[in-house]
Order: sequence, then structure tokens, then C-alpha cells
Amino acid sequence: MATAVELERAHGAGHGDDHGHADHPPTSTGLDHRKLLMWAFLASDCMFFGSLIATYMIYRGRAEDLGFAPFPSEILDIPYTSLSAFVLLMSSLTMVLALSAIQKGDHRGLRIWLAATALLGSIFLGGQYFEFTEFYHEGLSLQTNMFGASFFVLTGFHGAHVTIGVIWLLTLLFLSLRGGVKQEDSLDVELAGLYWHFVDIVWIVIFTLVYLIPYEEVSETQTGAFALLGGILRSVAAIF
Amino acid sequence: MASVAQPAGAGAGTQTVARPAFKKESGLWSWITTVDHKRIGLLYGVTAIVYLLIGGLEALVIRTQLIEPNNDLITLERYNEFFTMHGTTMIFLAVMPLSSAFFNYIVPLQIGARDVAFPRLNAFSYWVFFFGGAILSLSWLANAAPNMGWYGYAPLTERGFNLGRNVDFWALGLQVLGIASVAASLNFIITILNMRAPGMTLMRMPLFTWNALIVSILIVMAFPAITIALALLSFDRFAGTSFYIPYIYDEATRQIVARGGDPLLWQHLFWIFGHPEVYILILPAFGIISELIPVFSRKPLFGYAVMVYATATIAFLGFGVWVHHMFTVGLGPVPNSVFSASTMLIAVPTGVKILNWTSTMWGGQLNFTTPMLFAVGLVSQFVIGGISGVMHGSPPIDQHHNDTYFVVAHFHYVLFGGSIFALLAGIYYWFPKFTGRMLSEKIGKLHFWVTFAGFNITFFPMHFLGLEGMPRRYGTYGEGSGLQFWHVVSSLGSYLLGFSFLIFMYNIAVSLQRGKKAGNDPWDGATLEWSIPSPPPVYNFATIPVVRHRDPLWEEKYGQYEGEGHTEEETVETTIAGFKIGEGQAPDEDAVEQAERRAEAGDEHNIHLPNPSFWPVVASLGIFLAAMGLLFSYPRIPIGALDLPLLTAAGIVTLIAGIYGWSLEPAS
Repeated sequence: MATAVELERAHGAGHGDDHGHADHPPTSTGLDHRKLLMWAFLASDCMFFGSLIATYMIYRGRAEDLGFAPFPSEILDIPYTSLSAFVLLMSSLTMVLALSAIQKGDHRGLRIWLAATALLGSIFLGGQYFEFTEFYHEGLSLQTNMFGASFFVLTGFHGAHVTIGVIWLLTLLFLSLRGGVKQEDSLDVELAGLYWHFVDIVWIVIFTLVYLIPYEEVSETQTGAFALLGGILRSVAAIF
Repeated sequence: MASVAQPAGAGAGTQTVARPAFKKESGLWSWITTVDHKRIGLLYGVTAIVYLLIGGLEALVIRTQLIEPNNDLITLERYNEFFTMHGTTMIFLAVMPLSSAFFNYIVPLQIGARDVAFPRLNAFSYWVFFFGGAILSLSWLANAAPNMGWYGYAPLTERGFNLGRNVDFWALGLQVLGIASVAASLNFIITILNMRAPGMTLMRMPLFTWNALIVSILIVMAFPAITIALALLSFDRFAGTSFYIPYIYDEATRQIVARGGDPLLWQHLFWIFGHPEVYILILPAFGIISELIPVFSRKPLFGYAVMVYATATIAFLGFGVWVHHMFTVGLGPVPNSVFSASTMLIAVPTGVKILNWTSTMWGGQLNFTTPMLFAVGLVSQFVIGGISGVMHGSPPIDQHHNDTYFVVAHFHYVLFGGSIFALLAGIYYWFPKFTGRMLSEKIGKLHFWVTFAGFNITFFPMHFLGLEGMPRRYGTYGEGSGLQFWHVVSSLGSYLLGFSFLIFMYNIAVSLQRGKKAGNDPWDGATLEWSIPSPPPVYNFATIPVVRHRDPLWEEKYGQYEGEGHTEEETVETTIAGFKIGEGQAPDEDAVEQAERRAEAGDEHNIHLPNPSFWPVVASLGIFLAAMGLLFSYPRIPIGALDLPLLTAAGIVTLIAGIYGWSLEPAS
């Protein structure tokens, strides 16, 4: 769906793009259509990640419960992932700098910071690829246990988001090199930025819940809805 | 109302502006590449009615199978496919897209806009829906129609129980339809929030548009849960995970091995989507009749603001009741009680709506046209379904009703007596706007009464069948079980109901040819869609109207209609418990200023409409091919370490080409 958002980038706020931005009839909220669309899409995306995170919270302890190694505590490498999390968070900074550059009409700055953001995103993806391979060699696969299945699906889904983001950034970079991103088109960059920051924020949640918070025994009475609610509540508690 | 044959667009000067000349599009290619919300609405409508008829035929086969004990019209395996496809078709391919058809056609007209916010995204939504429907329908040709119920409970959907491609057709079809629904809903949210005519504040929007907004928010927030649930299911089926599998039998060691998955996770995720889905099906219906009842009672809607709040409350509470679908799985007394209470709570805003419709009719000059008959039909029939809903909102009673025909009776009263009645009402009401011709009132009234009788004869006996112990989803029952009498009654009723749709089709066919010319405003309507010609010109409004009133067209025709006591609240600021409910009724300066800018933008040289585009079709074709590749997985092509089916690879390439073609093409 993110791509569909991207697709509409050529369509302006009103009913025609060919007579300059100033002439658009004002929108009812004063916000651009595409910006509002991006926020609505991100709200929806929260529910995607929410469902996956709830699934992970329910299942991550099942490996230990059933004695199917490897367990999360044995295999997750906090220092390594902290480093890649740091890289991803820094990419939010470069994203802000890219937007700031184009708003000031600084095309060179835009290209440098877009490239930097895409590079940092790619380093994160490379780190995830290395991590996945490493886990696989240590015996954790999708099929090994419930921890493996829910871990790979959750972080893989996030990785797919980052991949789409990197492709989007590179597309903008390419368009900019061909002179296609003008100062008044800064919204094009801002939309990519909104998406990119969202993906970063989701990683903060995932990193906290998956890597930092150790698994505690879920009591036997907490089944079904309670486990799910408990998972969500603990996730929320963990954020604050 | 012949006396208002020429109501101007609610702003000034409609008649003085020369109509810009737009080329009339025609031919198949123009329909494939259209981005006009009205044409897309018609595409949705026609497709949905075709699926409504297909789903109806499936129901007739089910009813015929059950007309006598131990019937062997179809095998029980085939019966599973029929009831699964009946449910899936009616929900995802008939009622939802029919609602979407009305959203597409009517919402931009009601808010005074020339199109939706993202016209190409709108076309994309339709074509993805079209291909999603195609995937589900192709399952019949592959002799692998889904066969585990529309709710797809694990572990029935797992490979261990369901080896064929049946489940895969269903899972991929629903995934594709989900993309279509979410894309369309995002579009409607932005359109409604951002494209209202000057002066149309949120609390002046027609209730149908309000319902469209709230339903769209529900879709955007609820569909992700089923998308993830289906994705996990597909991982189980294709990648050997066990998200919903607690145990497997290990061939090698001949032992039962724990896997740690939990079928209950499916139920939670599915119903977190599934219960809001119920409101996704019924709220558009509520919106439609909230438009109709005031028009045919000659009175403004009673309690407009409360109606809006009730709709929002239903939507909000709808996310907190899903466990009432799971009362019998044994979650324990505390969850059951909590969810029972929240379920019963929903009866409050729903009851408020029923009372408001009744109060709107109270003391009005009722005009029982066909659309009004269907609307009143909804109010009465939905109450029956609503009350049986409150009954099994109570866990101990639900223990008794669960998985019996009582539940089948309940949800057909709310979905047929509710949604379908309102959608038929909407077709009768807006058909003149779509086509320029009225549907025949004489045939229409016959249609209503045959539908009403057929519906009740079909579904009321199911209450008795359920209480006597007839289980759902069973393709047969024993001789001497005492169940046959009501089954026969129900089946005969279903034939009458089927016949009513023939009357309906006949009415459409005849009226398209010889129907009375409608004019702009055949019903003396209150909302902006009746201010423009029928069918509307491609640009909808020559001049963007300025809205000063909740019922803009009535205000235009009859002034503020002061002196009628019941409308006073519409024109002055009113407060209830300290909340302003009539806020912003007087035109503020901002609105006037906006109106001037809009009016300038609206003269003939400045009407800009988006160009047709074929990229949305290309992108949706890519999604279709990718899904078909997963279903028919040979031949395959290795790409690096990935071993992709050829069709899937082609689909992904097509999708990417569509996306880039789309984003690089100028919008208008």
C-alpha cells in the first residue's frame, strides 16, 4: 500500500497539477491530500504491526515452555542489534536534513542526505541479513519453534518495510539527479520522510520488546484473550 | 416535484455558466481506463449485483439440498464448498462492493466535489477488487472452491486437514480483496475530510457521507488483523511454520509432537477483524436509510447530531466485542462477562438510531414509495435481528444457540433484512440519478412485497430450526428428526426470494428502456446530488456549491424553513449538556472566502479533470498474476536463491512497472 501512496505523488491537492500549486482550491482541512493519506495509511500500518507484535508476544515463550532450543535468551545478540538500531535511528536524522535541504532549495544537500539515508537503511538491512543467516546457522529457522516463526515473520515484515523505503529514497534520488524534484515539490520528500520515520519508530518498539525485555513465564491462567491483552498491555507498558 | 424542476446548484449562478465541453467517453477501453468516480461506482455496482445473484444461486442450491432428509442433490463435500462460497461471496463480493458503489457515486456528489481525492487510486481499488473476485471465482473452475466456512477456522484450514488448493484460493483471494478495500477506504477518508464544498462543516455533512467516513475508518483499522492472520496461515501452509498448529504427528518417530501453535490465535485475529466487519456491512445501510427516511417523511432527520455520535460509538465499541463470537471456546467467566457487557452496550446506540428513524417519521407526511418501503422494511426487520443478537450476547444463552440455525436466522435478519434491504432502497432511490430514468414504482412495490414475504418465510423458520437443534453447516438431517417441515417452508420461501430478484432484474431492464424521465430532482431531495442533472455531467458541478445548511437543497428551495418548530435547532446554535451540537451553522467568513475562491476556480476554463489512465489496471493485473502464480506454482524460475513461480515473477514485474508508470505519469 505504501507504494500506492507513492504512486499518487504526481497528483496534487486539487483537481489539476498543471497550473501551479498556488492555484489549488483550498482543501477543507488545509492539509494536502497526500499528507493526510500518508497519516491514514500509517494508522492502518500500526494495526499490521500491532497484530504481528501481539503474535510474537504470545508465542515467544513457547520455545522455552516446550524445550525447543534455541531460546531467545541464548541467541539474541543485544550489542550487535543495538548497533544496527543506532544506524537506523541515525537515518531519521539524515532524512530530516534531506527534507530541510529541499525546503531551502538546496538540491545538492537533498541528494547527499537522501543518499546517506538510503545508505544507512541499507546498512541496517545488511545487518538484518547477516543476523538472519547467523541465526539460521545456529539452528533457528521459521520451522524450528514458535519463537523462530514469530521472530522471523515480525522482523522480516519490518525489513520489507525498510526495503520499500530504501527503494523509495533511491527513486527520489534518481528523480532529483534528473532535475525532477523541485523546491516546491518538497512534499514528495516529506511523504517519504513520514514513512521512513514511522518505520524507525516501529523498530524502537520491536527492538525493545523482542531484544531488551526478557521473557517471563506467562502464568497458566492467562490464556487466550488474556494472554493477548496481557501481551498488548505489557507492550504498552514497555514503551512508557 | 415538478415545481422545482430547475433547482440551481446550491451556490449562485449555475445556469449562467457555459457548460465546458468534455469529450464523451465510450467503448470498452474507456471503461478500463476510467478514473471518473461515477463510472467506477457503476462498475462496482454492476459487478456486485452479478455476485449477489451468484451468491443467491448458491443459497438456492443449499436450500434445495435441505428440502428433504438425507438428500443427495450434491455431495457433502460439495455442500461445504457451497456454504463457504455463499458466505464469502455475499460478504466480500456483494454487500461490501455494493456499499462501495454508493460511496463512489454518491459521496463526491453529496459533498460538492468533482471527483474523489485520488482518482487513479480509486480505479486501482476497483480493479484489484475485480481480480480478487476473479481469484475466488476461478476456484470453482479449478474444482477447489473454499470448503471450510467463511470464517476459516484453524486447524481446518491447515494442510493436515485440507490438502487441496481450496484454502489457498480463499486466503489469496481475501488478501487481494483486502488491498482493494483498504485502498478504497483511504481514498474515501481523504475525500470526505478534504474535499467538502465551502461551508459544509463536518456537522453539516449528510448522514450517508458520515457513515461512509466511519465505515472507511473501520476498514482501514480492521483489515490489517485479517491480513496478518491470513499471512500467518499461508506461512503454515507454504513454509512449514505452525502458528495455528498445537500438535503434529511425526511420521518418522510415530509420535505426536507438540508444536506450540494455537488455533485460538486465528479466532482472535479473525474476529478482531470480523466483528468490525459486521459494522462495515451494516453502517452503509444505516447511512442510506438516514437519507431516505427524512426525504419521504418531508421532515429533517430527527436528532442529527446524536445519529452521528451513535454511528461513531457503534464503530468504536465494535472493536471491543469480538470474543462474543468465541463464548463457547472456554476463555473463562471473566472474559465472557466483560465481552457480554460490551456486546449489550452496542444495543444502546443502535436503539438510538431506530428511535431516531421512528421519530423522523412521526408526524411527517409519509410517502410510501418503493425506496421508503425498503427503508421501513429495514427498520422493522433489523429490530428482529438486533433483538436475537442481544439474546446470544448472553454467554449461557449463546451456549445453547451456538452453531445452530438460530444464529443463521439472526445474521440473515441483520444482513438481509438490514444491509440488502437498504442497498435495494438505495438502488431505487438513486437509480434516477445514475441513469436519468425512474425505476417503475408499480413493479417496485410488487418487488418489495415479494422480497419481504420471501425473506420472512425463508429466515423466520430458521429460528425454530435452531432451537430444535438443527446445526449450522450440516448438509443433511435425519428422517424422523422432526426438522423437515420448517426446512421445506424455508426452502419454498427461498424460491420466492429468488423470484423477487427476477422481478428486480425485470424492473431494471424495463425501466432502463422505458422508465419515466427523472429530471434533476425527482424525490424533492435535501442533498446536493439532486441539484445537478441526472445523470450528472462528467465534472458534476459547473460551479462548486456553497453550503449554508444541513439540508442544503431544501434550504435552497424553501429558505431556512423557519416557523416549522422542528427545524429551529438546525439554524441556531444548540447545546446539549454543555456541548454545542449545532455549532457552525451560520456561514462564517472563512467559508465565504473559500467559496469565492472555489467559484473562481469553477468557471469553464478552470475545470480540470484527471486524465484516464491504464496504469492502475496494469498494477492490479500484476497483483493478480502474482497471486495466481502462488496457486498454480509451475513452471518455476530460479532467481538467485529464490525459486519463484514464473507467473509470480511476471506479476511482480508487472506490478512494479505499473507503480512506476503511474507515479511518473502526469495526473491531469
